[in-house]
Amino acid sequence: MSMTDTGTPLPASRRVVVDTLHEEAGTWLFVFKTLLAFYITGWLAMRLSLPAPTSAMLTTIIVASRQTGMVLAKSFYRAIGTLGGALVAVLIVAAFPQEREWFLVAMSLWLGICAGGATFFRNFKAYAFVLGGYTAAIVGLPVIDHPPAIFDSAVARLSEVLLGLLVSGVVSDVVFPSKMRDVLRRTARDQFAHFITFVQGATGGSIPREQLERAHLRFVRDAVALEDLRSSVIFEDAEARARSGHMELYNQRFMASSTTFQSLHHLINRLARAGRKASAQALIQLYAPIGTALAAPIEAGTAAKIFLPRLVQARKAMQANAPVLRESMADTTDRRDFDTGAALQLRFIDELYDFVDAAAALQAPQLTGGVAERMRFVRGNDVAGALLATTRTTVTMLLLGVFWIESAWPVGSGAMLLATVFAALFAVTPNAASVTSSVLLGYVLGVAMGFACVFFVLTRMDGYGLLVAGTAPFMIVCVVMMIRPSLASSGLGAAIGFVNVVGLQNPMVFDPVSLINNGMAQIVGVGAAAVAFLLVPPAIGSIWLRRRQLERLRRQVALAAEAPLPGLRQRFESVNHDLFSQVVAQTQQGSADSRALIAWALAVHETGRAMIELRLAMSGLDMTISTQRIMDDAVQALARFYEQPDAKRYLLARDAVATAIAATSEAEHTCVLLDNLHLIRLALLDGESVLAAYMPQMPNPEEIAHAP
Amino acid sequence: MPREIALGDALVPGLLLVFIGSMLLLWGLDWLAGRYGLYRYVWHPSLVRIAAFICVFGSLGLLLF
Repeated sequence: MSMTDTGTPLPASRRVVVDTLHEEAGTWLFVFKTLLAFYITGWLAMRLSLPAPTSAMLTTIIVASRQTGMVLAKSFYRAIGTLGGALVAVLIVAAFPQEREWFLVAMSLWLGICAGGATFFRNFKAYAFVLGGYTAAIVGLPVIDHPPAIFDSAVARLSEVLLGLLVSGVVSDVVFPSKMRDVLRRTARDQFAHFITFVQGATGGSIPREQLERAHLRFVRDAVALEDLRSSVIFEDAEARARSGHMELYNQRFMASSTTFQSLHHLINRLARAGRKASAQALIQLYAPIGTALAAPIEAGTAAKIFLPRLVQARKAMQANAPVLRESMADTTDRRDFDTGAALQLRFIDELYDFVDAAAALQAPQLTGGVAERMRFVRGNDVAGALLATTRTTVTMLLLGVFWIESAWPVGSGAMLLATVFAALFAVTPNAASVTSSVLLGYVLGVAMGFACVFFVLTRMDGYGLLVAGTAPFMIVCVVMMIRPSLASSGLGAAIGFVNVVGLQNPMVFDPVSLINNGMAQIVGVGAAAVAFLLVPPAIGSIWLRRRQLERLRRQVALAAEAPLPGLRQRFESVNHDLFSQVVAQTQQGSADSRALIAWALAVHETGRAMIELRLAMSGLDMTISTQRIMDDAVQALARFYEQPDAKRYLLARDAVATAIAATSEAEHTCVLLDNLHLIRLALLDGESVLAAYMPQMPNPEEIAHAP
Repeated sequence: MPREIALGDALVPGLLLVFIGSMLLLWGLDWLAGRYGLYRYVWHPSLVRIAAFICVFGSLGLLLF
C-alpha cells in the first residue's frame, strides 16, 4: 500500500491548501448558482417578451444568498412587498394623475413610511417594507408623464419580479442546495449541551460574577440566534416548519430556566458575600442532586430524554433533603434565606425539566402532538428610530423631487429611483453612510464595466448564448466581490450598476448618449442616498438610541409590574433578550458602556422575573385590603425606581418592599409571597450590582441579613 | 374553462389562476409531507417538490387546452 498512513494528520501546508479549495468551492458554487438563475431569468423574460428583462435579472442578484432558506425567505417577503408597492403606485397615480407636485409628495410620504416600517421590524419583515417602498417608485415614476400606462407598468413590474423570484427560488432550492436546517439543528444542540454543562459545572458552589455575566451574554445570544435561524429555516424545510412551534417552546423554556438559574446563583453569591455561610452552604448542598442528575455525558447520539427520569429523582431528593438542611440551621434569618433559595431551586428544577422535555420532543424522530400553547418571541422594536427613518427618507425624496422639477432634468426619474432603492435598502444597516459610500464606489465601477461591455463586447455578439458569454466575465467579477465580506457592499453596487446600465433588451439598443446619461443619473441617485445617510445618520448604533434602549430595558420592570398577567412571562423574557442582544451588538465588548449595560440587564432580569412570579402568586390569594395595598405599593415603587433610578426612589422602593415583607409575614397564608419578596429585597441590597450607585451608603452585611 | 378570465375588467390568463391554484395545492401537500416526515424517505426533497408541482400544474393545465 501507499507510504502515507491515513491515520497521520495532514501536513499543515497541505491542510491549508485543502481548506482553501474547500472554501473556494463554496464561493464558485455560489457564483454558478447566481449566474444560472440570472441567465435563465433573462432568457425567460425575453422569451415572454416582458418589457424590462433587466429588472427581472436584477431581482435574482438582489435575493442571491449562499443559504437556500435566506433566498426563500427574502423572496417571500419581496413578493409581498412588490404586490403591496404596485398596488399603492396604482392608487397614487390614480389620485394625482395631473399633479406632479402632489404626486411626488404622496410618493415621498409612502417611501418614508416604508423606510420607517423597515426600521421598526428589523428581521425579514423589514424587507417587505423596503420593497413596498421602492416598487411604488419604480412603477409610478416612469409613467409620471403618461398616467394611463400605470396599469401596464404595474403588471410588467410584478411579472418581472415574480419571474425573477421564482427562478432564483427554484435554482437555489434544487441545484446543490445549502440547507440551514443543519445549522439550526447544530445550534439548538450546542445551546442545550452548553447550558446543561454549565448548570452541571456550577454545582461545586458559587460562580464569580464576571463568569455569570459572560454566561448570561452567551445565553442571550444563543436564544436570539436560534430565533433568527428559525424564522428563515421555516421557509426551506417543511419538516422544520411543522416543528416550528416546538422550537419556539424550547427557546422560551430555555430563557425561563436560564433566568432562574442566574437568580439562584446571584442569591448564593450574595449570601456568601454577606457572611451568611451557613445558608449559602446549605443551598449549595441542596443543589447537589441537580448536578448528579445532569452528570451523564452529552454526545451527539444521546437523547435529551435520558435526563428526564434523573431530574424527577433529583427533585424528590431535594424535597427530602430540604427539611433536614433547614433543621440544621439555628438562626431564623438563615432559615428564611434558605427558604428563599430552596423555593427558587424547586422552580429552577421544574423549569429545567420542562426545558429538557422540550428538547427531547425536538429530538424525537416522530412528531407527537401539537404544541398546547403557542409561544411567540416578541421583539423589542423602537418607534423613535422608525420615525427618524421616515423623516430622512421623505426629506431626501422631496429634495430630489424639487431638484428634478426645477432643473427639468430629463433623466431625473432615474436618479430618484436609485436614491429610493438605496435609501430603503440600507435604512436598517448600522453605519449606513459608509456602506452606501462603498456601494457608490462599486456602482461607478459597475457603470464603467457596463459601458465597456456594451460597446466593446456586445456589439460583436449575436444570440443569447454569446450574450451570456459576453456578459458572464463581468458578472463573475461582481458576484465574487459580493461574496467577499470586505467587498460585499461594493460588489452589490457593482452588480446592480452593471446590470442597470447594460439594460439588456430584446432587441438590444446601442445608444452611448442615453447610457452615459442614465449612468450619471443613477450615480447621482446613489450619491444622494449616501449624503442623506451622512446628514441624518440612522439611529442604529448611535448613543442616543443606545440610551433609549437602556431606558426601555429598565422599563421592562414596569411592564412586569403592570402588564396583564397571561403570557407576560414569555413576553418579558423575549423582549428582554431581544433588547439586550440589540444593545450588546452595538456596544464594544468590554467597554464601560457594555459593562454597565450587562449589569443593568441582569438586575432588570432578576427583579422583573421575581415580580412576575410574585404577581402570579398574589393573583391566587385572597388578602386583606390593607395587605393588598401594601403589596401594590411595593410593586409600584419598584417600577418607578427602575423607570427613573435615583437615590430617593431607591429608598422609597427599599422601604416599600420592607413593609411588604413585614405585612406578609404576619398572616399564615400570605407566607408564600415571602420567597419572592425576599429575593427582590436581596437584589435591591446587593452592593455589587448596578444599584449600588443609588444606595445611601454601603449596607453592612448585617443589614442584608436582617432585612426587616 | 376559458383561456382568459376577466377579473374586474382586467383580462387574466386562465393559466395564471391554475398556477396559483397548483401552488396552493402543493403547499398543502408539502405541509402534509412535513408533518408526517415523509421527506425522510426521499433523496432530494426539493427536487421531489418541484416534480410534484410540475405534475400538478401540468395535469390541471391540461384542463384548459
